Amino acid sequence: MSRRGNTVRASVLVVVAMLAAACGSPGKPVDPAPVSNAAWPQPAHVGGPDSTAGGGTDTSCNPLASLAPSGTSIADGSTMAKIKERGKLIAGVDQTTYLFGFRNPTSGNLEGFDIDMVNQIAKAIWGSADGHVQFRAIPSSQRENVLKDHQVDIVVRTYSITCDRRKDVQFSSVYYKAGQRILVTKESPVRKLTDLSGKRVCAAKKSTSLAKIATDPAKPVPVSVDNWSDCLVMLQQGQVEAVSTDDTILAGMAAQDPTLQVVGDQFTEENYGIGVPKDNEDMVKYVNAVLDNVRGNGAWQDSYHRWVESSLGPASPPSPQYQ
Amino acid sequence: MTSTATAPGPTAPAPGPAPPSPPDGRDRAGGRSGLLGLLDLPGQGIRAIVRSAATTPGRLTVIAVGLVLLALVAGLVATLSVQNRDNTITGVIEHREPLAAASQQVYRSLSDADATAASAFLSIGTEPPELRQRYERDIAEAGAALAKAASDSGDVADAAGPVDVLNQSLPVYTGLVETARSNNRLGYPVGASYLREASELMRAKILPAAQDLYRVDTEKLIEEQDSATGFPWLATILVLALLAALVVAQVYLTRRTNRLLNVGLVVATAAVVVSLLWGAVALVVQGSLVGSGQDDGSHRVDVLVRARIAALQARADETLTLVARGDGATYEKDFGTNAVQLAGTDGQGGLLGEARGLIPDGEGAAKVADATKAVNDWFKAHKEVRSRDDSGQYQEAVDLAVLEDKTDGSAPAFRRLDDSLQDAIDVGRQEFLDSTHNGDRALTLLAPGLAVLAIVAAAGVTMGIRERLREYR
Repeated sequence: MSRRGNTVRASVLVVVAMLAAACGSPGKPVDPAPVSNAAWPQPAHVGGPDSTAGGGTDTSCNPLASLAPSGTSIADGSTMAKIKERGKLIAGVDQTTYLFGFRNPTSGNLEGFDIDMVNQIAKAIWGSADGHVQFRAIPSSQRENVLKDHQVDIVVRTYSITCDRRKDVQFSSVYYKAGQRILVTKESPVRKLTDLSGKRVCAAKKSTSLAKIATDPAKPVPVSVDNWSDCLVMLQQGQVEAVSTDDTILAGMAAQDPTLQVVGDQFTEENYGIGVPKDNEDMVKYVNAVLDNVRGNGAWQDSYHRWVESSLGPASPPSPQYQ
Repeated sequence: MTSTATAPGPTAPAPGPAPPSPPDGRDRAGGRSGLLGLLDLPGQGIRAIVRSAATTPGRLTVIAVGLVLLALVAGLVATLSVQNRDNTITGVIEHREPLAAASQQVYRSLSDADATAASAFLSIGTEPPELRQRYERDIAEAGAALAKAASDSGDVADAAGPVDVLNQSLPVYTGLVETARSNNRLGYPVGASYLREASELMRAKILPAAQDLYRVDTEKLIEEQDSATGFPWLATILVLALLAALVVAQVYLTRRTNRLLNVGLVVATAAVVVSLLWGAVALVVQGSLVGSGQDDGSHRVDVLVRARIAALQARADETLTLVARGDGATYEKDFGTNAVQLAGTDGQGGLLGEARGLIPDGEGAAKVADATKAVNDWFKAHKEVRSRDDSGQYQEAVDLAVLEDKTDGSAPAFRRLDDSLQDAIDVGRQEFLDSTHNGDRALTLLAPGLAVLAIVAAAGVTMGIRERLREYR
């Protein structure tokens, strides 16, 4: 009797235990393929503001005053004589800025407004630029360094003249006047820098544009990249709200993507000069003489018409200032 | 007279896998039933055994049961261990090695795609169709190999992470490359930026994941090769214990019965000795063959694969330095690192030097020699490419770097290097397969053989002791 009672009790216990196990919450269905992060990749070496950005607030000099030209004759023993003897002018240029310095993928040639300027200087030395120019593509952050190390004779690469840069290198007279503006998508309501308060804005490392963005009271969030083209990539991928730099560069980007436009007024003045190593003063004078000719003989207008006019409208060459 | 009482008692729990079966229980518990009756059974069994062991026939029966059990357990363990080893080798051949090769393929194809996309991008005008095809083939191969590698990530937990990264990033990579191509076709410089972004994704995320996957799969392969050559301790101890027990039992019987030999037990002993010898010989042969499959096969392949990956990375660096168009200093630095890893500072060391040391002769050695020659040609061409590019002769540098028909250029030298390494890897894989397969063959029939011998031993014990027991009737 008691044994049977035990058995029954044991069986009841077992059944209760099984029911209890079965009644627990089954939980949520398992997510078969969780994805933690689907963010699109970014170009290499994307950074924030950059303490060594060019430009700055140094106004201790008149940056635009260059050395007065001394004619296009070449004196013995001068820097130009050495270059002429070498047979090649080595020019630091950009290969990635559409309209100013870029490699045409279908022809393989470097083309653009800055390249035209280099060719004009070579033409002045040898009578023809053909075969006399060695282009060296350099990133904008390296412009001062290649001049300091004498790796190149000149840098013609959308190079704004500033007092800070003048401490390291010489500049020619101004050959192009640009200004910082803003590139956004056509749907964007942004028209000026204050509209970009707290938004991500892209510029190249060590550029004056990056310094302007980083110090603007509207506090846009600066995003820095190696090359201007990387800014276009980030804008197309929706990783920045706008690109802000010289209208020349922005025009080149807008020309590569019909959904983008350059908006607003110029809010800085960028004076492009040709960079020359600090100690080659004779070369600065020579280059200024060449630029005077280029302004006067219609070559400047031809280049402007070919590359820039359709994007930024008509313009005339800036007048030079000398010390 | 005592035999009738004791014989069924102790033997009852012995046969059959589950001694306390309900019908037995009801019989012997005499009216007890249910759970408590069952729980009481082992105790009763032990008491019965102790009781019966006090008499000689009882003791004989206990010895017989013990020996039979030991023989069956030892036989079972030995058979299972051999079968398991056999399965491991089959798994290594059919599963692990192909998987390591697949993850190797993922890495190789993706590195090659990175280098090829850059080469195609550098070409002026329409990209050369052979480069485009090579890129497409790389991506297709990477996808197929990745599917293969992914199919197995379930049983190797460490592989799941890299496979996940690869699966998610590969479509993004190809998307970026196509964006780069279309922009390039339109003549827009932004194409180069997209290609560099794609390459950055490849190098910062995809290739490290591919490398992890390869490492995980290779480690797993080595682990399984080691487990297929490990010493079967448990089986050996059990068989030796059985042998010792048989000897002791025979000595005891001889003393008790004054008969020198018991045929049944002698047969059992012989069966155990045969198992030991057969097993020892087969395992030694198998172990050394699988070991040589590891040393001459998969280990060499691993070194060659790492050499090839370093070569592919360096090739991508070379082309990307040119794609970067002036901003390629970091790529060139990377090239230097990979070059040293591949061939040392003097062109004779590095991974290729290691491979030469590992492969002293045969077809593989010839291929590695070819590769060494090709790598030196390549580095010479690379120096030329750099000096052209650095002096501003960009187009000449590009031609020298990417044109396949430029005999002193980088492209053909690199192609020879890659082909030689591929051939050497194939030779290594074949050697792995041959040795490991032969190792597997050494185990042929060993598992069933051991099972049969264990049964023979058990039968011998039963016959032998029963003969003695009969004398007590």
